Amino acid sequence: MTALEEGEGIAMRNKPMGFPVTAVLLLLSFGASTYAHHGFVSWFDVTRTSTVKGTVTSFDWTNPHAYIYFDVKDEKGNIEKWSAELGALAMLARAGWRRDILKPGDEITAIGNPAKDGKPAIHLTKIVLANGQELSSAL
Amino acid sequence: MRNRLIFSAAAVVAMLAFSPAPRGQDAASPGSVPDISGVWLVEKFQPVLFPKGGAPLTPWAEMKLKATNPQTDDPNLACLPEGVPRFMISVPYPMEIVQGPRRVLIIHEGTSVLRQIHMGRQHPKDLDPTYAGDSVGKWEGDTLVVDSVGFNDKTWLDGGALPHTEALHVVERIRRRDHDTLVDEFTIDDPMAYTKPISAQQVYKLKPDWEIHEYVCEENNKYTYQKK
Repeated sequence: MTALEEGEGIAMRNKPMGFPVTAVLLLLSFGASTYAHHGFVSWFDVTRTSTVKGTVTSFDWTNPHAYIYFDVKDEKGNIEKWSAELGALAMLARAGWRRDILKPGDEITAIGNPAKDGKPAIHLTKIVLANGQELSSAL
Repeated sequence: MRNRLIFSAAAVVAMLAFSPAPRGQDAASPGSVPDISGVWLVEKFQPVLFPKGGAPLTPWAEMKLKATNPQTDDPNLACLPEGVPRFMISVPYPMEIVQGPRRVLIIHEGTSVLRQIHMGRQHPKDLDPTYAGDSVGKWEGDTLVVDSVGFNDKTWLDGGALPHTEALHVVERIRRRDHDTLVDEFTIDDPMAYTKPISAQQVYKLKPDWEIHEYVCEENNKYTYQKK
């Protein structure tokens, strides 16, 4: 299992965006969420995005946010425990999510805003499942 | 538990809203006024009322705003209701309008407050301040005019922490611009906090296939409300 995708994963989390245009696009994309429900901007950097690959250990289908917990293995085989915060259940369901869409052992690619404090957490904007299906998160 | 009670209360109120109007009370039938019922979602999420700044703050409100961190002090972090007008403008979750002869009900998916708009009565005297306040409505042609007072001061006007006092007075003009579009024009007045009334507008799109779902914010809320 790859811990992160080269160039946009954990290694990039504490670096400034390489291209100003990209940074502007990201700000435009996520700016609308800046004051969104439950102030996740306190904990996640909405101006940046990360891509993390891992293996699901559990999936909390709960309000006000669903959570995916997953293991990320580095090149030496060390496992880091990660979490991904999603939106509210009803909006997730409208976006195609279901409570049983993930189960332990599933391999996922999580894309979203990294935690400001460097902890292994992400505010999910999109997920890619092992079968290639992509789902957007919700506010 | 609180949400279950609220939804139970909503069911009771809905039944009352559709019960026959007693003689001497509002006798308008649903068919004689415009139909604004349905599930609606904000067309454009407006997190703040003044994205470029310039809110007409009184010195009190300016001081209050400076002392507030919008990202950590939001009462909504504790799952407290957003209140009016914030949940009508700045929350990207759907609302259902249930229209009866004596009351128009607004059930919002992302807040724990059922909003009742009472048709054909005045505001009671000596209102106890609440999150939803007291709303009364009347039809002016194709427009539902809603007058709301009786708010507590525990909410913000928007996601940017604009404060208000218990003197908050909100007037809304709600009309169905076309079959799929609802427009709500707000006049927000609070002389204690603002030097002049604030005008705002929100546009909602009809979601004919959607239903309002349960949203129990307290179930697994991991955020901490730091402003006590």
